[in-house]
Amino acid sequence: MAEKRKLQKAETRKRIIAAAIKVYSEQGFSVPTVTIAEEAKVSHGSIFVHFPTVESLLICLLDSFSQSINNELQSLSESSGDIEKLLNMHINVLIQHEGFYKRLIKEAVYLPEEAKNTFIAIQSIVSIHFLQALEYEISAGKIKAVPFHMLFNTWLGLVHYYLLNGELFAPQDSVLTRYKSALIECFTALIKQ
Amino acid sequence: MKTCIACGMPMKEKSEFAMGDESKDYCVHCANEDGSMHSFEQKKESMIGFIVKTQGLAREAAESAALSMMKKLPAWERNFAN
Repeated sequence: MAEKRKLQKAETRKRIIAAAIKVYSEQGFSVPTVTIAEEAKVSHGSIFVHFPTVESLLICLLDSFSQSINNELQSLSESSGDIEKLLNMHINVLIQHEGFYKRLIKEAVYLPEEAKNTFIAIQSIVSIHFLQALEYEISAGKIKAVPFHMLFNTWLGLVHYYLLNGELFAPQDSVLTRYKSALIECFTALIKQ
Repeated sequence: MKTCIACGMPMKEKSEFAMGDESKDYCVHCANEDGSMHSFEQKKESMIGFIVKTQGLAREAAESAALSMMKKLPAWERNFAN
């Protein structure tokens, strides 16, 4: 009986998380929790059984996104430091979470402090792999002599610009899927000597 | 798979563990030359330095993010206990 209850609880938590990702992606982070409860088909109160505050729900989503990026990019550092391969994997992970990530970069400045810091932590994970992939080429003088953070922020800036203007570049479509090759080719052409 | 208790890095290969010792709970990047784990202050400074270097953030913003990251790591739990 206790086991059944535990499973049910885990299932409800899973449904709340899936609903929150969907609702936040579509309507933004200021959407009331009652909308998430309706989407998850759970009572409004059960959201707070699992997540005492709205912020804790948001942090849970960000932590899970962070874990997903970390797992995905970790496999690259085991193989080789190939920048094109890394950029490709980075975009692939973002495609899996495109709606949520787009909302995140759009509303990041309005998020609570801890959520903002978790977002920085996510970019920090990406930057570790970015640095590992570029280190050899930087020391071999194959990359233009600009500060590392400028290389990283230029890449993010490019990706974020296309994401934020997705309706113009790829209406009704995944802008990252459509522009993946173009973005990678353009960025690598810009940074190589 | 183990995760470094001091920085959160997943550790799969032997070389990723402190001193190549897979029984250790922290990674090669969080170890001093003698194999001991970095102190709280050492880790905080190295995280701030890393964020500034890789993301170009202002030191204050980097410090806030570093502390927020450390708060979630088992090695530093007691440093945040009230």
